[in-house]
Amino acid sequence: MTTVLTPWARRTRTGGLGTPRRHRPPLLIGAGTLLVLLFALAGPLVAPHSPTAQLAAPFQQPDGRFLLGTDVLGRDVGSRVLSGGRTIVLTALAGTAAAGVVGITAGVLAALASRRLGDLLLRCVDALAVLPALLVVLVLAAGFPGSHTALVASVALATVPFSTRVLRAAADTVLSSGYVEAALARGDTRWAVLRHDVLPNIAGPALTDTALRLVASLHLTATAGFLGLGPGGATPDWGRMVSENVPGATLAATPFLAPALLLVLLSVCVGLLAGRLADTVGRGAG
Amino acid sequence: MSLIAFVGRRLMGAAVLLVVLSAAIFAATAVLPGDAVSAVAGMDASDAQRAEVRAELGLDRPVAERYADWVAGAVRGDLGRGFVGERPVTDVLATRLPNSLLLAGLTLAVTAPLAALLGLWTGLRGGGADRFVSTAAQVLAAVPEFVIAALLVAVLAVWLELLPRVSVIPLGGTPLDVPHALILPVLTLSAVGLAVATRLLRVSAADVAATPYIEAARLNGVRGVRLAVRHILPNAAGPAVQALTLTTGALVGSAVVVENVFDYPGIGRELQLAVAARDIPMVQGIATALAGVMLLVLLTGDICARLLDARKGHQR
Repeated sequence: MTTVLTPWARRTRTGGLGTPRRHRPPLLIGAGTLLVLLFALAGPLVAPHSPTAQLAAPFQQPDGRFLLGTDVLGRDVGSRVLSGGRTIVLTALAGTAAAGVVGITAGVLAALASRRLGDLLLRCVDALAVLPALLVVLVLAAGFPGSHTALVASVALATVPFSTRVLRAAADTVLSSGYVEAALARGDTRWAVLRHDVLPNIAGPALTDTALRLVASLHLTATAGFLGLGPGGATPDWGRMVSENVPGATLAATPFLAPALLLVLLSVCVGLLAGRLADTVGRGAG
Repeated sequence: MSLIAFVGRRLMGAAVLLVVLSAAIFAATAVLPGDAVSAVAGMDASDAQRAEVRAELGLDRPVAERYADWVAGAVRGDLGRGFVGERPVTDVLATRLPNSLLLAGLTLAVTAPLAALLGLWTGLRGGGADRFVSTAAQVLAAVPEFVIAALLVAVLAVWLELLPRVSVIPLGGTPLDVPHALILPVLTLSAVGLAVATRLLRVSAADVAATPYIEAARLNGVRGVRLAVRHILPNAAGPAVQALTLTTGALVGSAVVVENVFDYPGIGRELQLAVAARDIPMVQGIATALAGVMLLVLLTGDICARLLDARKGHQR
């Protein structure tokens, strides 16, 4: 009885984590996410001017020709904003995908291996987690200047430790469950157990974890752009646009506010969506 | 295990980890020696010039040998000289690291009490305020630091003209000479720290609030501030220290970005400049030092948690 009573008591008396939430599908956040992703991915196709050409004097106020004015080098802010999201989104997606594959593999392997080997693997992963994510990105950017692959790899590397830990815990729970024992006892191979029992059952945690990693990856990728890491030059990038145009903040606001607000929209929508997903999966599992 | 043995063992572990991390940092920055050469010799140097520079910098030797040399120097307190301007790396660390620590210290002083209050309040009360604060923290944590900084600049420096946009520190002075230059950086970092710490502390408070011990106190009629201060705070202190450790760790990364936004003369700014200039010895030195700072923060957190644990044991 106590197991039934406790959560209920927690909910009514203390509120806290057990507070029931309204089960509304996150339509608004979902629509916002789709909109800003569409803007970022399809933007370069509809940009009215070249995003890299110097077309007018720097920091011109918005007018009929340049809807958002011009930036520090006299380039069209509107076209740069339309073209500057694609790299961030694609890099973050690539980094997340890489981190997801490595994290799931390492997590499941750590759970399947003997306890000591698994612990050793986690120890190595934890050593990496000591470094702040941005430090990993900066060090790799110094070693491989201007390399896009290095940027993706460092974003993945920085987010992998946490995934490995979460997925190992999830796989451990599944592996110690009755149905896995039953499957092994009736002679299923480890591979079959992995495919039919373990992987489907850690799909929920894996999905949530990947979503949270995507939030972190977007954060890192935008910051890397701001710090001028990764492929440089005149390529438009929302992060770099902010760093280029903040010094001229008193002359023109749109050149840095437009990309900054788009980054807010992107990260907030994806962040809230990931949080909602984590809540839903957590509730389903608990 | 006595406390001294515990600290000794953890220190050993941290030292080993620092060696491993420094090796990883060295390897990551040293595998492409060609690029360091073009950074120093210039892009259009002839092959003979490049070979000369390479020999001068000692880049013609194997990576392992260079790393051994570097470690031998580092133990004696010499991290080599940067390619740019020939500055000794230790000098840069000695002048810039205190500025960054000041920034981090001020941020923690702002963040810790606020986050503790918010965390306790939302963790215990739940309801609408909890949902609002949690969502706000989630939103704030997702937004990159430089965007928060840019928006603060837009409002406080450009629109209201209250604060300077960059931290201009007089030559040879410390940031304390111009306190108003610290406000925007500390404000940005505090927003980030608050977002991280509030969420962690809220979870700890809610966990403690759900224990039978607190349930019993409630049934005995203890409630409100008394319940929070006398019963929940002591029990949540351990996790709270962990939460603050994690927050400090997150601040190390964020500080790099924030220092760059405001041209604040800290170690993160130097690191970014060194990366931009391909100044490999500087990057290696600063990155290793920052890894050391991180390990120290984690170690301090562990020791504090252990002390709190020991105190709890005494009381029982």
